[in-house]
Amino acid sequence: MLRKRGLRAAIVLLLVSLFAGACSSYPVVTTDKGGLSGEGGNLIIAIKDDPKTFNPIYAGDSMSLTINNALYAPLLSVNNGEKKFVLAESLTAAKDLKKFTLKLRAGLVWHDGQPLTADDVLFTFNSILDEKQHSYFRSSFVLDGKPIKVNKADERTIEFVLPQASAAFESALVQIVPIPKHIFEGEADLEKSDKNYSPVGSGPFKFKEYRAGEYVLVERADTYFSEKSKLDSITFRIAKENNSAVLALQNGELNMLRVEPQDYAKVKAAGHAKLMMFPSGGVTTMVFNMNIDRMKQKEVRQAIVHALDKQELIQAGFSSTEFAEPAASIFSPDTLYVKKELPTYPYDKDKSKALLKAAGAEGLKIRFAYFSASTPETNMALYLQQKLKEVGIQVELIPLDGAALGKKALNKDNTDYDMSFGGYSMGFEPDAYKVLYLSDAAYNYSHYKNEQFDQWWQQAAVETDANKRAQLYGQIQELSAREVTTYPIAYGKSIIAIDARFAGIEEAVAKPVVMFDDFAKLYKQK
Amino acid sequence: MKKYLLRRLLQLIPMLLFISIVSFALIRLAPGDPVMSFVTPNMSPDDIERIRASMGLDQPLYLQYAYWLQNVLTGNLGYSLINHRPVLDLIVERIPATLGLMGCSLVLSLIIGITLGLVAALNKNKPIDRVLSFLSYIGISLPGLWFAMILIYVFSIQLHWLPSLGMRTIGVNSVWDVILHGVMPCLVLSITSIAVFMRYIRSSTISQLEEDYVNIQYAYGSTSTVILFRHVLRNVLLPVITILGLSLPEIITGAFIVESIFSWPGMGSLGINAVFSLDYPMIMGITMMSSFLLIFGNLLADMMYGVVDPRIKSMR
Repeated sequence: MLRKRGLRAAIVLLLVSLFAGACSSYPVVTTDKGGLSGEGGNLIIAIKDDPKTFNPIYAGDSMSLTINNALYAPLLSVNNGEKKFVLAESLTAAKDLKKFTLKLRAGLVWHDGQPLTADDVLFTFNSILDEKQHSYFRSSFVLDGKPIKVNKADERTIEFVLPQASAAFESALVQIVPIPKHIFEGEADLEKSDKNYSPVGSGPFKFKEYRAGEYVLVERADTYFSEKSKLDSITFRIAKENNSAVLALQNGELNMLRVEPQDYAKVKAAGHAKLMMFPSGGVTTMVFNMNIDRMKQKEVRQAIVHALDKQELIQAGFSSTEFAEPAASIFSPDTLYVKKELPTYPYDKDKSKALLKAAGAEGLKIRFAYFSASTPETNMALYLQQKLKEVGIQVELIPLDGAALGKKALNKDNTDYDMSFGGYSMGFEPDAYKVLYLSDAAYNYSHYKNEQFDQWWQQAAVETDANKRAQLYGQIQELSAREVTTYPIAYGKSIIAIDARFAGIEEAVAKPVVMFDDFAKLYKQK
Repeated sequence: MKKYLLRRLLQLIPMLLFISIVSFALIRLAPGDPVMSFVTPNMSPDDIERIRASMGLDQPLYLQYAYWLQNVLTGNLGYSLINHRPVLDLIVERIPATLGLMGCSLVLSLIIGITLGLVAALNKNKPIDRVLSFLSYIGISLPGLWFAMILIYVFSIQLHWLPSLGMRTIGVNSVWDVILHGVMPCLVLSITSIAVFMRYIRSSTISQLEEDYVNIQYAYGSTSTVILFRHVLRNVLLPVITILGLSLPEIITGAFIVESIFSWPGMGSLGINAVFSLDYPMIMGITMMSSFLLIFGNLLADMMYGVVDPRIKSMR
């Protein structure tokens, strides 16, 4: 009897200690005040994964970028084509576009109360440009192989001296948020610094707590120079699995969530959340590999796109035309100088057949590669195979995993397939697109080569007259559409569900990648 | 016994070495480049190469392995390519959550599985046995993700009894809160093993009850309870240890999936991310850690034979 009781006690003890072990040995970064429901409330935002870093000069993933958007303030930002000065109060460009002067606002401070000055901005740029620090942004500030020079003019003024004119410099600057010199000075390797995990920012929220695999908690920063946040705090909670995240939104364990198109109806039907949809900034395309002789023929490319109904193609890929807009330009709709009126290729089987005949390409066979793990690509590829069969083109589908496809696509001599899908999100500055379209660019997946085309891209990058720039980018889009260098399929949309109890959504302004431009404007309704 | 233990422990070394070589080769044979996960089109080839070199990926493969092994022998599992933190720190941070979940699942499976198995065996072919058998078939064939969704729907959405996400409520630091969060993940992870254990215990108890020694015990006037718990159960439990050892891999991989569904902050979710982003040092770290757990678990199971059945101890 005693032995039995002992066994029972041992089992109970084991169970409790296992859970307690899991609990107590977990690193607790800070203590909590217990409840978090204050005046403005706590907003729980779902993120897919742990942020990769809290140091903005290494942030490239959407989780880090979203959290950093609450913790750090940028110098200036651009959203929906609107420029907004944040830490900077002005940016003046010299006429020749070789020198830019940035002036900071007066009285800026870091979350720890230290002043934020030109020294911090200078330190940030020097760290980015330092080859040993491996910042992902370095290339944006190296023009034609030469790094830009950054000088401090006074406590609030920074000068950027460029080795060559650049009309796109502002778009590079938009990506940068200053990091505090007094924290990081003297660190040998900023990327691996422990200090990255107790970040001191300059944004509307300050860092409070990070529990690996669980959540990141930030709370209102009273040091913020602009209007203080209406929310008390934001918790970025890690929710990996879509289905359970959607259920957690219904349950109130999450208040905000990126929604996949396939979950849209489910979230809408549950009725707990407002759904908002806005352009994701991304462009989905179809790429012709012009390393293959047949694909070099303009008529063949035109014949292929005439055989496709773009609406149906979008329907196949995005489950509804509600979630993506038909694309005409290679530029996303929020890009500067984007052109709406461009040559289009309406669905026309007869024209397609005639073009194939004229090109001597009847009975054409095409090898079409796509990313096998992507349901949209798989569905579009199947649609395409069936549609092209109607005009006598045989399509052999080549499903590949992401890594293999990427490797083949980056190979400049790739002849492993004739066509594939592509996609990119390049921001508002059209110059950013040239890395995809210049003849010798690493990401020119279509391998389209045209000297005239290249010249226009290069001219537009240094053109100081905005009208002439607009004209050049107009010509580029026109030529691309006429020649079908790439076939833009759709402009995707981002969908966000936000708990119906929260307001301020319009003022916070939706933004691709980071969800909202200004989290500080959101609040919980009484 | 000590000699045997030492021999088994020494066998661990070549085994782990072999696993490390095979996993290293397999991971590196997979197409893809971890550097690509943070390359933006704006990056110049020089900058990309610099980043690659900073990760040591520009070295020949055998040298990379040699460096890795050298570091591991000094207790350094390397730096995560993606998280920019030491692999060991990341694993140590997460392993308690995984071990907690796995441990609870094992204990739960054993307690429920053995109890139900005995109940079914003692009521052979009676309605209760049929119901339990039917339930065990469902348990074995239940898809984990689906079962998890049903549990969340019932206990979180409808009844509001249990939280559906993570390991604790934000801002709450109590063991009870962790237990509440752990109930559903533990149940999902255990359901198959409960069913397997139950079926096994049932059939082996039934066959043991037909053995001569049981009849002899009855003849000597022993009660059913004494026969069952003192004699039959010992014989029945012996193969359970084998199944326990065999089910370890299932529980480890199961934990990986369950952790993803419930966003349980364990090693599994870390491992899945590492695989998708080709974070080589992280994948190696987690593979080695899981292999060690597995081999050690089996070793423990072998040791337990001796405890449960003295005949085996004397044979070694």
